[in-house]
Amino acid sequence: MNDFSFDSPSRQSSKGIIVIFGVSLYKFIKRVAIFFLIFFVRFVDVYATKVILGACIGVLFFIAYSLLKYVNFKFYVTEDYFILHQGILNKEETSIAKTKIQNVYIKQNFIQQLINVVSLSIETAGDNKTEIEIQALTVAKANALKRVLLENRAQEQYETTKNDGSLYYKVSIKKLLLEGVSENHFRSFIFILFFIIGLYNDFKDFLESLNIKTRFDGYFAFSDTEILSLLIFNFALVFVLLFIAFLFSLIKTFLENFNLKVTSTNKGLEISKGLFNKVSLVLEPNRIQNTIVKTNRLKQWLGLYKLNFTQAMVNKKQQKHFTIIGLNKFKVDELIQKFYPNIFSSVVKLKPEKYFIYRSTLSYIIVLALLNLIFSFISVELFLINIPFVIFASLSIIYSYKKAYYSIDENYLIVGSGKLVDINTNFLELHKVQGVALKQTIFQKRRTLASVMVYSSTNAVTIPHIKEENAKSIIDFLLFKIESSKKDWM
Amino acid sequence: MFTNHQIQIQSLPKVDDINFTNVEKSYFSIILFNLIITYGLIASVFTVFKVFSNREGFQELYWWLIVVLVFLFLIQVIVYKVGFSKRKYAMREKDISYSEGLITTSTTTLPFNRIQHIEIQRSFLSRKLNLSTLKIYSAGESGGDLSIKGLPKETAENMNAFLTNIINERL
Repeated sequence: MNDFSFDSPSRQSSKGIIVIFGVSLYKFIKRVAIFFLIFFVRFVDVYATKVILGACIGVLFFIAYSLLKYVNFKFYVTEDYFILHQGILNKEETSIAKTKIQNVYIKQNFIQQLINVVSLSIETAGDNKTEIEIQALTVAKANALKRVLLENRAQEQYETTKNDGSLYYKVSIKKLLLEGVSENHFRSFIFILFFIIGLYNDFKDFLESLNIKTRFDGYFAFSDTEILSLLIFNFALVFVLLFIAFLFSLIKTFLENFNLKVTSTNKGLEISKGLFNKVSLVLEPNRIQNTIVKTNRLKQWLGLYKLNFTQAMVNKKQQKHFTIIGLNKFKVDELIQKFYPNIFSSVVKLKPEKYFIYRSTLSYIIVLALLNLIFSFISVELFLINIPFVIFASLSIIYSYKKAYYSIDENYLIVGSGKLVDINTNFLELHKVQGVALKQTIFQKRRTLASVMVYSSTNAVTIPHIKEENAKSIIDFLLFKIESSKKDWM
Repeated sequence: MFTNHQIQIQSLPKVDDINFTNVEKSYFSIILFNLIITYGLIASVFTVFKVFSNREGFQELYWWLIVVLVFLFLIQVIVYKVGFSKRKYAMREKDISYSEGLITTSTTTLPFNRIQHIEIQRSFLSRKLNLSTLKIYSAGESGGDLSIKGLPKETAENMNAFLTNIINERL
């Protein structure tokens, strides 16, 4: 069954040199690009030859580095261990017990796609620091190695699923576009705003040297009412930023989820997706902790739901890939029922107490008071901002109360939450709970209310502002469930 | 034989009925010591600024900052002092609970069968006062770990031995 032997130390595919070269150069450029650009613009005329020479030396250095790294990177597999030698000057030997290996991922980034190799990374239980990546292997060899590494585990758990699984779901381009368009653009707007402010600080000197200010001053001198044109300019700026934010979410959704495929196998689901960074992961039912269904008003109307699984013993970076987008209501419910049998049969939606509204109103009032205090120092006209803020806040409070609910039955906990546009539903099996906490502020105590925190190994779910006696009986019930059940959480 | 009796929710053991034990009184001096160190550090940063900075206005501002700092320090000491009696712990047959906090009281309960590992910590000062901190970790990265500060050394060691025993039996 195996054409590859891993008994003796072997290197990765020789194409690995290209991958190491590309990846390390990319990381380097990403880190120093801004300095380099400033340097380049300032000095390119004066020291042209020296700059080019410097760049050449830099490239040569990276080639040498990649070669040495390639030569010094060897791995092999013994009876019980995976052993890796690496390091150019500081030699490092890592050995991982096969039994400790949790996951083996095969991925492909852009360079790897071009030269047709894959990277294989090994994830161990416990600490997140030991993550091992072999950057270039041929597809066949990577699969063989994966098989060897996981041979101790139950047979069906690692069986390559590409052929025997049946395609459950495939995202269409139309759905992908709709998902991108209906994202919460405000979030990426804020992100881009901060990014630009950061960039501006970095480039301040450079921009000033371009004399933009004098040019703009000249431009504005044409109009009669300077303030009006400044206002238009600001609106235009916001509009452009919003447009960039829109494009940003669209492209991000598109790149991350391109060609998203969900294959149903005998052991779970296999998710593969990505345009430049192809990822392929197996979702194991017994490792699923929380499952969150996310949508928003627009998406709900378009029939788009996002399913987000969290898996135990998977690092943060990998965690976000366990997401399926563009599902319709029927498919979402079907998938949820696949992992949580009979979950919808006994849902009784219970609401938090009205104190929820009071509490969120109070926090908005505090924010508003602080804002107005700041405004009163700057300009009275800024008080106008209060109007949209109050409208936003009241709608937000009403809808977050409307969307908040919880439901507990013999096996499952469901918690619904949301803000003005977002709608989230969190599903958790009771035997996967790790611990519980009762939280009570002095204000809640006066009204005999409390909140319950339910911790799984990946998320903390809050049931906010319910009657103290209910909170206590929920905790007693959850503890009874965990302590009396023989079921393990993983 | 498989049984599936109905459970009377009212008859479940209640966390509410447990008798909690307070942590050692002497632990308060450690809290106080840590607070003094923290505020002392901030104050000394300000003082260094005052000595070396030529900025107009900072000299006057300095005293205001110190006043605010002393005020905050006093408030925190009072909150910790009043809230000290809320720091309590309890063990049952199958779980361990710890409760703390004056303004927000939180009572966290971890079932024994979800504990991953246990740790005893003793700082320089707590060694002098014969105290220990017992840390209990579940698998959650999301919080839900317990850290019981200000236990008598022997109690912490006993609890540690007891819990370690339970974990080992489980494996």
